[in-house]
Amino acid sequence: MTGLGRLTRFSLRRSRILIGAWTAVLTLFVYTSAAATDSLYKTPADQISAAESINTSSALVALYGPILDVTSLGELAMTKTTVTYAVLVMALAIALVRRHTRVEEESGRAELIGGLAVDPRAPLVSAVLVGALTSLLIAVLAAVADIAGGLPVAGSVWFAGSWLGVGLVGTGVGALCAQLSPNARTCGAVAAGVVAVLYAMRALGDTTSAHWLSWLSPFGWSTQLRAWSDPRGWVLLLDLLLAVALSAVALGLRARRDLGAGLFPERPGPAVGSPRLADALALNLKVHATSLVVWTVACAVLGALMAAIVPSIGSILDSAGTRDLMERIGGVGALQETLVAALVSVAAIIVSCFAASVVGHGGGEENDGRTEEVLATATERSTTFLAVALLALGGVAWLLVVTGAAMAVGAVGAAVSAGQVLAAALVQIPAVWVVAALALLALSWHSRWAVAGWGLIVAFFLVGPLAELLQLPGWVAGLSPYSHVPKVPADPVSVGPLLGLTAAAAVVVATAWWRYRERDIG
Amino acid sequence: MNDAIIEIRELTKTFGATRALDGFDLSVAEGEVHGFLGPNGAGKSTTIRVLLGLLRKDAGEVRLLGGDPWSHAPELHRRLAYVPGEVNLWPNLTGGQVIDILGRLRGGLDEKRRQELIARFELDPTKKGRSYSKGNRQKVALVAALAADVDLLLLDEPTSGLDPIMDSVFREYVERFRDQGGTVLLSSHILAEVERLCDRVSIIRAGRRVESGSLAELRHLTRTSVVAELARPPAGLAEISGVHDLDVEGTRVAFEVDTPRLDAAVGVLHRAGIRTMTATPPTLEELFLRHYGDDLSAGEGSPETEETA
Ligand SMILES: Nc1ncnc2c1ncn2[C@@H]1O[C@H](COP(=O)(O)OP(=O)(O)OP(=O)(O)O)[C@@H](O)[C@H]1O
Ligand SMILES: [Mg+2]
Repeated sequence: MTGLGRLTRFSLRRSRILIGAWTAVLTLFVYTSAAATDSLYKTPADQISAAESINTSSALVALYGPILDVTSLGELAMTKTTVTYAVLVMALAIALVRRHTRVEEESGRAELIGGLAVDPRAPLVSAVLVGALTSLLIAVLAAVADIAGGLPVAGSVWFAGSWLGVGLVGTGVGALCAQLSPNARTCGAVAAGVVAVLYAMRALGDTTSAHWLSWLSPFGWSTQLRAWSDPRGWVLLLDLLLAVALSAVALGLRARRDLGAGLFPERPGPAVGSPRLADALALNLKVHATSLVVWTVACAVLGALMAAIVPSIGSILDSAGTRDLMERIGGVGALQETLVAALVSVAAIIVSCFAASVVGHGGGEENDGRTEEVLATATERSTTFLAVALLALGGVAWLLVVTGAAMAVGAVGAAVSAGQVLAAALVQIPAVWVVAALALLALSWHSRWAVAGWGLIVAFFLVGPLAELLQLPGWVAGLSPYSHVPKVPADPVSVGPLLGLTAAAAVVVATAWWRYRERDIG
Repeated sequence: MNDAIIEIRELTKTFGATRALDGFDLSVAEGEVHGFLGPNGAGKSTTIRVLLGLLRKDAGEVRLLGGDPWSHAPELHRRLAYVPGEVNLWPNLTGGQVIDILGRLRGGLDEKRRQELIARFELDPTKKGRSYSKGNRQKVALVAALAADVDLLLLDEPTSGLDPIMDSVFREYVERFRDQGGTVLLSSHILAEVERLCDRVSIIRAGRRVESGSLAELRHLTRTSVVAELARPPAGLAEISGVHDLDVEGTRVAFEVDTPRLDAAVGVLHRAGIRTMTATPPTLEELFLRHYGDDLSAGEGSPETEETA
């Protein structure tokens, strides 16, 4: 295929920082998990009881997946990485493919390439190669990190295989989603939705009696591979087949559409602007309207689905041993409360992505010169800033309200009241505001930093577990605003941290505002 | 100057190590169409962005419509309309929606003129942002600007994507705007457009003004090329200062002469007996090639310095 090699090398070069940083963080995480676990448990009995206690906590099973062999040190050490951190592998693969396909088309750069002696299929195939090669790189490094951390070689390799599989599926998902819309952001949102659904299906399958749901998700396959004892190698074939199928469909769709076009032709719209489109705030709301609707629906559906696990907890753990254990840790009620607290903490991270996307889009508007067009009218700087800030801050609050309400509905019949579930979601708002505020500060510093929000989310997500593994001082984990949120409903609503987070967010937003009014636009 | 709509003195703007504007001066009087010319990267767009209060100046004086564009941007922007060099539209808004929202953000637009402009520019206002061609994107911004009731138009290469017919529609509206007392700052690389539209011209190079004046004045500052057939070989032509590229072949001479020295040069020809003669005034192209092409150290040869010398 003409130009494939060159294009691939060029893309790898352009994304080397993204690939390098992401790979380094994930490898470090795998290594510290592997190296730390051995010293954590003095006797095999300790280790087994740790694994069993994870299995009895639906919150942890929903988050991490179950531990199939409680005697396996490797499986215990890789609890978080097998499924939860595999999401980051999939996300990187999607981000890379999207970046080198639809983003290029939307910006018009793909036309430059299309005008060269390059096979028309080459850009997509090359992006798939970039995703696959990156997944392979991460897998190899993960295997090395596990072995270096003292885990068995065979298990390490199989585990790395599960990451490779997830990365390949992510590549296919990215390739397919990039074909759908002319708008790179819409494509990204659809892909993110796919990841969320796959994750939620596995969480439901692992924690309810509908185990077959886990078998519909590549994240479920990663657990079912049983990398650490008695591996089922054929499970990896499922990943491979799915990845190939998705990529093939993507190629087929690509061949059927024009460069830069979506699957469906653009329809004409109104010839005049509605009178409500009268200021920069309304304009920004209009620009994000579709995204806001999609997010609202997604939060409602995911919230209800995730919360549906809660009421069934008592029954699926209904064995003599586990009931005994459960009573000791506070009974079914306490278990459900912990699960709700864990679910809303995941929801908070997902909803933060909305803020990152709004602020990142604000930076894009400025780079593309649209902010300039607005500021050349009688619009104040403060207004264009507020248009982004209010949407980011108000949007996440709204989405958490929706998530909380949907979870309350989903959890009907649980020992946790609807009010408690809603409260659990609402107390996350100040922490997400801090993340949004920091992203706004980055945008206000320079438009090209506007995407920093995404990095912040990943960093805050990882800093707690990393600090724990590396036994860093307590304040390191405390850098993450999420760590200060009271674990409602398991813990009471404590006003202090919430006020503190809100005040911190306010100070950061004010600083961002001040800076935005002082700096060059463009 | 009281009636200056734009007054820039000693304006400096740096981006890191790049000095985009380096002591730049510009003055645009009320009611004139002012051409703004210069090679790529000379600082035209940067100047316009400073005038819009989008960029903060490092040093110098900038007055726009009697106010400070940085601190009073919103009030001043009610009285002006801007067309950027590269128009980017919102992907999910139609051209018609963009025209209306930009008009409202500016404080209203003339509904009748909006309809008329859309018809004259043959613009389909129902298309979404990304399905417009480059020229049509530009038309959206032009309709939004020309339909506004303002005193000043800031146009940054507004016609670079327009076809010749649309170009003439654009000229017609700019002329109409000027006739009603409006002021225009027009940055452009299209010399024919500048020649037809502009009353005065400023040329910027490497962030400095190298020339400013009416086209007649600028012409006066450059060379006229002369070809003549004489009765006798001319005497003393080479001694006249300001004669360049002299080529004498017997009684046939060809040379270029700085326009202020034209009279002296023709005097010499006259004494040698003129049989035929053509004197071609410099084309605008030549005028600009001189300013664009020279490197700055060769600035001694520029007419401005010669005149003051
Ligand atoms: N935001 C920026 N950051 C860094 N450098 C910049 C920035 N904007 C402009 N420059 C630099 O300032 C100089 C002047 O640029 P400007 O866009 O004003 O040129 P121009 O006269 O409009 O050119 P053209 O005719 O190509 O449009 C160039 O060297 C450019 O690279
Ligand atoms: Mg320019």
